[in-house]
Amino acid sequence: MPSSILSKFHWLGWALALPALLSAAAAANAARLDFNRDVRPILAEHCFNCHGLDDRTRKGGLRLDRAEDALKGGKSGHPAIVPGKASESELVKRLRTTDPDDRMPPEEKGVPLTDAQRTTLERWVAEGGEYRPHWAFIKPEPQPLPTVKQAGWARSPMDLFVLERMEREGLAPRPEADRATLIRRLSLDLTGLPPKPEEIDAFVADPAPNAYERLVDRLLASARYGERMAVDWLDAARYADTHGYHIDSARDMTGWRDGVIRAFNENQRYDQFTVEQIAGDLLPNATDAQRVASGFNRNHMINYEGGAIPEEYHAAYIVDRINTTSTVWLGLTVACAQCHDHKYDPITTRDYYGMYAIFNGVPENGLDGRNGNAVPVVRLPKAEQAAESERLAALVRTAEARLAGPPPEVQEAQRAWERSLSKAGAAWNVARLAKAESSAGARMEQQKDGSWFVPLPAAAQENYVLTLAPVDGPITGIRIEALPDDRLPSKGPGRYDNGNIVLGEVAATADGRALAWKSASASHSQDGYPVAKAIDGDLATGWAILPRAGKASSAVFALAEPAPANAGPLVVTLQFSPSFGAHSLGRFRVSVTSDAQPQDAADVPEPIRAIARLEPSARTADQDKEIGRHYREQVSPVMRRLRDEVAAAKKARDDHERLIPTSMVMAEMAKPRDTFVMVRGQYDKKGEKVGRALPSALPGLPGGGEADRLALARWLVSPQQPLTARVTANRFWQMLFGNGLVKSAENFGTQGDLPSHPELLDWLALELVRTGWDVKGFLKMVVTSATYRQDSRAPRTLYERDPENRLLARGPRIRLQAEFLRDLALSASGLLDDRIGGQPVFPYQPAGLWEELMSREDNDAFTAQKYVPSKGRDLYRRTMYTFIKRTSPHPSLSNFDAPDRQVCSVRRPRTNTPLQALALMNDPTYVEAARHLAARMVGAGETAEARIASGFRRVLGRLPTAKETAVLARLHQEQREVFRKDGEAARRLLSVGDSAPTPGDAADMAAWAVVAGAILNLDEAVTKG
Amino acid sequence: MEHGMEARARLLTRRHFFGRMSAGIGTAALASVMNPGLLNGAEAAGAEGGTPGLLRTLHFAPKAKRVIWLFMSGGPSHIDLFDYKPGLRRHHGEELPASIRMGQRLTGMTSGQSKFPCVAPMFEWRQHGKSGLLMSELLPQMGRVADRWCVVKSMWTEAINHDPAVTFIQTGHQQAGRPALGSWLSYGIGSENQQLPGFVVMISQGSGNKTDQPLSTRYWGSGFLPGQHQGVRFRSQGDPVLYLSNPPGMDDPTRRRMLDATGALNALAADSFGDPEIDARIAQYEMAYRMQASVPELTDLKGESAATLEAYGVRPDAKDGGFARNCLLARRMIERGVRFVQLFHRGWDQHGDLPRQIRGQCSDVDRPTAALVEDLAQRGLLEDTLVVWGGEFGRTVYSQGSLTKDNHGRDHHGRCYTILMAGAGVRAGLTYGATDDYCYNIVENPVHVHDLNATLLHLLGVDHTRLTFRFQGRNFRLTDVHGDVVKGLLA
Repeated sequence: MPSSILSKFHWLGWALALPALLSAAAAANAARLDFNRDVRPILAEHCFNCHGLDDRTRKGGLRLDRAEDALKGGKSGHPAIVPGKASESELVKRLRTTDPDDRMPPEEKGVPLTDAQRTTLERWVAEGGEYRPHWAFIKPEPQPLPTVKQAGWARSPMDLFVLERMEREGLAPRPEADRATLIRRLSLDLTGLPPKPEEIDAFVADPAPNAYERLVDRLLASARYGERMAVDWLDAARYADTHGYHIDSARDMTGWRDGVIRAFNENQRYDQFTVEQIAGDLLPNATDAQRVASGFNRNHMINYEGGAIPEEYHAAYIVDRINTTSTVWLGLTVACAQCHDHKYDPITTRDYYGMYAIFNGVPENGLDGRNGNAVPVVRLPKAEQAAESERLAALVRTAEARLAGPPPEVQEAQRAWERSLSKAGAAWNVARLAKAESSAGARMEQQKDGSWFVPLPAAAQENYVLTLAPVDGPITGIRIEALPDDRLPSKGPGRYDNGNIVLGEVAATADGRALAWKSASASHSQDGYPVAKAIDGDLATGWAILPRAGKASSAVFALAEPAPANAGPLVVTLQFSPSFGAHSLGRFRVSVTSDAQPQDAADVPEPIRAIARLEPSARTADQDKEIGRHYREQVSPVMRRLRDEVAAAKKARDDHERLIPTSMVMAEMAKPRDTFVMVRGQYDKKGEKVGRALPSALPGLPGGGEADRLALARWLVSPQQPLTARVTANRFWQMLFGNGLVKSAENFGTQGDLPSHPELLDWLALELVRTGWDVKGFLKMVVTSATYRQDSRAPRTLYERDPENRLLARGPRIRLQAEFLRDLALSASGLLDDRIGGQPVFPYQPAGLWEELMSREDNDAFTAQKYVPSKGRDLYRRTMYTFIKRTSPHPSLSNFDAPDRQVCSVRRPRTNTPLQALALMNDPTYVEAARHLAARMVGAGETAEARIASGFRRVLGRLPTAKETAVLARLHQEQREVFRKDGEAARRLLSVGDSAPTPGDAADMAAWAVVAGAILNLDEAVTKG
Repeated sequence: MEHGMEARARLLTRRHFFGRMSAGIGTAALASVMNPGLLNGAEAAGAEGGTPGLLRTLHFAPKAKRVIWLFMSGGPSHIDLFDYKPGLRRHHGEELPASIRMGQRLTGMTSGQSKFPCVAPMFEWRQHGKSGLLMSELLPQMGRVADRWCVVKSMWTEAINHDPAVTFIQTGHQQAGRPALGSWLSYGIGSENQQLPGFVVMISQGSGNKTDQPLSTRYWGSGFLPGQHQGVRFRSQGDPVLYLSNPPGMDDPTRRRMLDATGALNALAADSFGDPEIDARIAQYEMAYRMQASVPELTDLKGESAATLEAYGVRPDAKDGGFARNCLLARRMIERGVRFVQLFHRGWDQHGDLPRQIRGQCSDVDRPTAALVEDLAQRGLLEDTLVVWGGEFGRTVYSQGSLTKDNHGRDHHGRCYTILMAGAGVRAGLTYGATDDYCYNIVENPVHVHDLNATLLHLLGVDHTRLTFRFQGRNFRLTDVHGDVVKGLLA
C-alpha cells in the first residue's frame, strides 16, 4: 500500500509540473558536442594507442587522454589543444596537414580518420575542447525534462525522454495495446505467469479509470512477484544446487534463495537488500535472516577435486566474489586489474587487491565442496528440530558427566586388576585352526611356529574366518598376535604398504551362537585406534599398531561368559575395516586361555606394569594418572560402557544435526588473512602486502578507517556513488523491455555500450534513489508509462529499422525466458503446483543425462550423481525450483538460454533454435501439459469454437480470429479421424507423463491434445508481446 | 536476400517446402534464420546450404574445413605410449633427480609422497612406417598408420588437475565461463549443414579407470556466446539428440499436420505483428522436423558395410564401450558437413594400476582411431579434415603409490605430454618437439595449449587474434592474449 500511495502522490506532482517543465526545457539542449558520446570514441580508436595512458607505447611524449597533458602538449612544446582556438591547436593542424610526415594518424597506423571525424574533433576544440570523465563515473544530476511535440501522449516524465528521441528519429509511438494484451504482458513481466481467463475478463470489463493501476498493484502484491524477481537475481548471484567443479555434488542454498523471494515480496528497499546480501552478517545484532542473506557471495563454485591445491581455489573464490559484486552493483568488469592496471577504467591493481582483502577474511577452506554445504554456515532448524537438538545435546552432556565422574567401583576394579598384573600371566595355548579362510580368497599359509602367513595382494575388504580345533576346558579369552614378517611390506604385520593393520571388528561364535566380549586389551595401540574399537560394533573404526611396523603386537579379547569345552566349534572372525582398505594381517597367531582372568600381563606395556608393582602410595601423581588412564581406556569394561554411551549419544546428536538445514554464509575471521598483490594474477606469486580498501578512483568513498565488507556494501548504495542506481535501474528496464538502455548491462565502463537514452537513464536512477530504492514503486512507474503500454504490433519496416527496439517506438515483444516458458505450459494446463520455496525438485529429464557424465563407480559416495525424478506434485513446481546441477543443467533451462550458473550473469541471450522446437514439441512436460489443457478446453464448452477459444485464452490471453479457429478446428477433425482408426495411439498420447491418463472419448480428447500442443507451440505462446 | 513477407508467402503456398528433403527456402533467408542477430548484413560465407558464421571471409585460405578431436579424457601417459626414452630403463626405481623435478608443483595426491621412484614403461616399443615412429606395442593399429601422424611431443599446460585442465584446453581458460573451441568455430565460421549442429560431442566410457573424473557440459559450453553455439551431445541411449522423437501415440503425419497448423497460425501472426522473429520461429520448427529424419539417418549404421564395421571394431552388441561407434559416426557427420566433432573417451586417469588400465584403454581406441584415419583418407576426406588425438595433460615419470614388480600408478603431469594429429594442413610423418631423458621437461619446441588452439584456428583459416567476441567491454578470444601458430607443424 505505501508504494501505491507514494506513486499516486507523484502522479499528481508530475501532472502539475509537466507544463512548466516543458517550456523550461525548450531553451537548453543546443547541439553541443558531447565528449563522451562524440569525441572520446574517436580518440580512443585512433589516438590513445600512442598517446594514451600506457607510457611504454607513448610517442612524442604526448598524452591525449587527459586534459592537462593535451593542453601542455608533447616534446614539440606546442599545446595539442588550445581551447576554443582550433587553428592554433597542434591536434587540428596535424589532422589537416597534407605533409605525410606530420599528418596524424600516421599512414602506417592503418585506418585514417573520415572527414566527419576530423570535423568533429575540430568542432570539439572550437567549442572549448572540454574533457569530461566517462559518463557513468559522473553522478547523475537532475535535468530539465525534454520538450516534445506530442506532449499529450506522455503519462510520466519518463515518456518524454522516450518520445523526444522518437521525434528526433522521425518516429511516432504505437497506440496503447488492448487490455487482453496488456494483462498478459504485465502478468508475465511481474509474476512470470500468464493471466487466468477470469482475471482477463475482470480487467477487460473493469470500468474504473484506475483499472490498470489496480491491476499492477494486484500483481505486485502477488507472492508470484517475489519468485519472478528472484529468478533474475539468482542468475546474478550464480545460485545453484551443486558445487560446480569436478564431482559437482550437492549444496543447499535454498534458505538463501527463499530469503531473496521474501525480500522482493516484502519490497525490502534495494539499499537495505544490498547491505544484507553483501554484509548481512556484519550488521549489529545480525538476525539469522540477515546472515543467510550474506550467502550471496558464497554461491560461487566450490571445488573438491582430489589433488587440487587449496590455495589456488581459495583465490578463485575471492576473485569470483570481486567480479560478481562489481558486475552486479557497479556494472564494471574489474577482472583485468587482477593482473595489470585496467587499460580503460580507473581500476588499479591495488584497488583490485584492496577489494580482495575485503573478501579474504572468510573462515573457509580452499577445498570443501564434497558433501553438502561448506563452512561457514548458519543452522536453520525448524522448531521441532531445535527442540530435538536440545534434547540430544542434553543426553550427550549427561553421558559425558557420567564418564567424567565414574562410579567408585571402577577404582576398586582397577586395584584388583593391578594386583592381577603382579601374578604370573594367564596360560595361553596356541590354537590349532581346523580351517582358515579369507573372504577375498587369499591363501592362508600355516607356519612352523603355529602362526599364519597371508601373501599379497590384499583385497580392499577382507575377513578372515578362523575355525578353531576343539580344545579342553572352557575358553575365557582369545589372543591375536600380530607378527612381523620380512615378506610383508614394511615387514608387516599388516599387508598394507606401511605394515599397518586396522582390525575393524573381532567376532566369535560357538556352534553358530554369537559370543559377547567383556573387554579388550592390547600390548600397544596406535593413537586414535585403541583396541576397544575392535569390539565396538563399528566396522569403520578399529585397532591399529603404528608405529610398530616390523614388530610384534598383541591383543587379548576376554569373553563375557566362558565358552564351555563342549560348546561346539568355535569360529573367530577377524574383520578388517573397509574404510581403510587392504589393512589386513599378513602374519598372525591365535591363542586361547581358560584362565579366569584372561588379561595377559604380557599384553600390558612394561611401563604400566612397572607402575602396578609400586604401592599406590609410592607412585607419583603422573604415574597414578598414567596407570589410571591405561586402565580406563584399555581395560575397564565399565568405562568402555560409559564411553560407548557417550559415543552413542553423540552419534544420535550428530545424525540429527545432519538433518538440520544450513545455509552457507559470509563471516569474518577473528584475525583476517594477509592479502598480497598477486603478480600477474597468480595465486602463488605474492607481491606487496595490501590492506582492505575501496576502489580509489570512484566517487563517493566514505572517509576514514579501513573499509570492511559492511563499508563496501554501504558505499555501493551511497547516493554519492554514480553507478549502482543506474546499473540497477537499467537491469529492471532490461527485464521489461528486453534490452537495457545500456545494452551491456554488465559493463558501464568506457568499453561498455553507451546508453540509448542517457538522460532517461539518469532520470530513472535519480527516481530510484529519491523514492528510497523502492523496487515495486519503480517497476510500477515504468509499467504504467505510455512507453510500456504501446502495442508491439508494428509495420515490418519498423522492426527492420530497429530490430532490438532501442528506440522504444513499439511495445516490447520478446521470447519468454526459460523458466517462464515451462511455467506457462504448467499454468495454462492447470498442472502448476504453487508452493513457494523449499528443496529443489527433479522434473522429467531424459534418462542418463547426468549419469553419462558422472558414471563413476564410486558415485554413491557423493550426492547429485544420479537423477531420480520427483513424484507427484513436485513434478509441477515452478521451473525456478528445478535442481540446478552446474555441470549438467536441465535441458529445459540450457536449451532456452538460461545460464548454467557457473559465473555471474546479468543478461541472457535470446536464441531461436531447432533444438528449442524439438523440446517444445516432444518434451513430456509439454506433451503432458497439452493433454491437460485439452481436458480444460473440452470442459469449457460443447463446440469446437468454444474449446479453441478457451485454449487460446489460457495460453495467449486472447480470443482466436475466425481464421485461426478454422485452422485448428480442421486439425481437430482430421486428427480425430486418425485416432478413431488408431485408438491405441490416442490412449498412448493421453498417458504421457506421470499424471493419470486423461479420461473421456480417447480419439476426441487425443485430437484436442494435438490442438492444445499446436497452441502451446505458437510463437505467440512463447512470446511476451 | 529474400524478404520475410515473400518468403512466408512462398512458405504457405508452396506445399513442397514442407517436404523434408527439399532445399526449399532461399539459403540466405534460412541463414538469417539460423543465426539471428549475428549476420547484420554479412553475406553468406558458408557453403551452399550451410549456416554462415560471423566472419564474412576467412582470414586465410583454410587447410582444414572440419575437425575431429578424439579427446582422451583423464590424461594418457605419454611415457608409456609415445615418448620413447631408452635410458629410462636404467633409472627404473631410482629417485627422480631434483635437477629434473626443479621444485615443480605437484598435485595434492602425490605432494605428500616421500619417494618419487622413476618408472620405465612396462611394455615394449614397436617401430613403424617410413619415419620409424616408435609407439607402444599397445597401439599396433595406430602404429600401422604411422606415416599419417604428426606427433607433438612437447605439448604443455599450466593446469595440474582435471577440471581446470580440460576447461583450459577446451576454452582457453582454467575457470568456467568461456566458450569451447567448437563454439568459437560455430560462431566464427558457421556450419556447412543446416540440418545438423555445427558442433557435436559424443562420449564413451573406457575400460581403464572406471572411477575416472567426471565430465561437465561446460567443456562444450558456449560460455558468453549465444546458446546456439554450444556443443550438441549425440547420445547412445535414448534419442541421439534430446527430444528428437515424437511422443508416444504421435506419428509422423500427425506431427506434420500439427506443424502445418502452427505454421499457418504463426504466418498469420507474422502479418499481424510484423516481427521477423516469427518467420525465424517457423523456419526453426521446419528445421526441427527435418532433423527428425536427418538425425536417425545419420546415426543408422545399416548402410555401412560389414568390412567397415569390422575395420572400426563396431560390435553389434554395442559392448565395445562406444568409442568405435562414435568414430564411425564422426566420419558420417564429417561427410554431412558437421564442422567440429569431439569425442570424449574416458578412463585415462591412471593413478594406480596403470599397466592393466592402460592396456584396456589402448584396446578401446587403437583400432577405431586407425580405422577412422584410414577411412577418411580413402574417401578423400582427410585432405580437408583434421584429426586430433590427445588429452588434457600427461603423466608423471615417477610412480604414484608403491612401485612393485608389475604394478604402479602415475600422477598428472602438465609440463609435457604428447598429442597426435593427422590430416588437413599438418605435416604427416613429423615428430615435433622433444623432452628430457625423463619425459619430464620440454627441451625443444614447446607447444602450449594456446599455441595448439591458435594453430587449429589457423588451419581452419582463422587468425586467432581476430576471432573475438565483445563481452563485459572486452574483446575475448579463444587464446586470451597468448598463443602462437606453430609454423613447424604446418604442411
